[in-house]
Amino acid sequence: MMLCTAVCPVFCGAQQLQVPASAVAGQDLNLTTAGSGRGSFYLLGPGISRKTEVDLGEPIDLAGQDLRNAGEYTAVLCAGSCQSARFFVIAAKPSSLTFLVHPSRVPVAQGDAISGVAFSFDPYHNLTRSPLNIRFQLGFKGTALWARTVRTQNGVAWFRANSWKSAGPVQVAASSDQFSTTRVVQQVASDPCNLRITGQHTRTGILVQTEPVHDCAGNVVSDGTVITFTATGADGKATVDAPIKQGVASAQMKSAGPTVISVASGVVMGNEIHLGAQP
Amino acid sequence: MIMIRSFKLSPVPSTIALLAGLSICILAAGPNARAANSGVQVQLDVKQAAPRQVEALTVRGVARDYRLAWTSMAQALEFNTLDPLVGAFSGDAQQWLGQTVASQQQSHLSRRYTNQTHEVEAVFYAPEGDALELHDTAQYQLQLLDGDKTIDDERVVVHYVVLMTPGADRWVIRQLQAVQQF
Repeated sequence: MMLCTAVCPVFCGAQQLQVPASAVAGQDLNLTTAGSGRGSFYLLGPGISRKTEVDLGEPIDLAGQDLRNAGEYTAVLCAGSCQSARFFVIAAKPSSLTFLVHPSRVPVAQGDAISGVAFSFDPYHNLTRSPLNIRFQLGFKGTALWARTVRTQNGVAWFRANSWKSAGPVQVAASSDQFSTTRVVQQVASDPCNLRITGQHTRTGILVQTEPVHDCAGNVVSDGTVITFTATGADGKATVDAPIKQGVASAQMKSAGPTVISVASGVVMGNEIHLGAQP
Repeated sequence: MIMIRSFKLSPVPSTIALLAGLSICILAAGPNARAANSGVQVQLDVKQAAPRQVEALTVRGVARDYRLAWTSMAQALEFNTLDPLVGAFSGDAQQWLGQTVASQQQSHLSRRYTNQTHEVEAVFYAPEGDALELHDTAQYQLQLLDGDKTIDDERVVVHYVVLMTPGADRWVIRQLQAVQQF
């Protein structure tokens, strides 16, 4: 600090600046100055850089609007020499959650298949780091399936959960006392189970068709799932991939002699059928 | 802790001003050239990261992109331009940095970050790898300038809480918040 001992028409030394150790985001703040005459006051922080002329000895009012971003601020008071002080603005009370949930679609009845992460923020989008209890909940058609309360650590809480046994939309919620955020995970049928086919000769070959395709929990497997039919006969092997449409998959295959037809979907095998020669 | 210090007003020597002007010219010619030799030191420790372990390739990517982000931020706040921030920051971090640059342009102030070292610890890595929380103990020389006059110049140690998320081709900073302590 440089003391001004001479006459100072504009700037007068011996200025002092006092700041609090910390302030809360969005709240007004008063800084105390000492000295006499005029000086330049600077405030630099996240989102703000300002220079104003001030009267030394008078308090400096900082509006909450200027202190919305949590972080470190530097106040500098210059009157011939400069004096600086640093203070922190901490986040205000939590008011919202950023909630990330994965995946958006998940097969039913899978272990640890759904996960979620929640970060707590104040009204000014600052990460709040004070511990907060967050209740994670999975619901299906109005029924609570699973719930757990997790305390945030470093502003974040997370969970993992199994997917439910039924296909359909599952609501995944993260909530605190005063606010809540919900996401939806679409549960879809798992791999086909008990894949069964029937077949018959037609004038142009063999028509094979699955029975309605379900997973092991009885959910209808989604349309578009590919079913692979393989025909093995005297003239070799033929393979047809057919998507499920309205719950069943079918294919027309060319074969005149005795034929063995098998079916599969991914790694799941179904039954085999044996068809004799075409009459 | 309140830190108060005094600093005598001193105009930047003309040679430094000349070099600063020259730097602007270099930046205009090739903005990426400077990022490569910024001298920003980043040490990233992922041993405490949970619940997911940070893969080795991810460690390299995060360290590289975090270093680049600080290089970019230092350029933006020294030369009062938004261009370096593009790609390195997103969301709230990008917003307040944009506000900072705009208000610096208006008030003719700038900040110069030099001799940066960052000791960074990953404290949270989301189960699906889509969010990473870091604690950075940063040390740097911070100069505050009013036009060409230095109004403050000190070596500071600042603790930052950082949220990064993966972007299309890099990790981006979504939250960069200085705190008193971890």
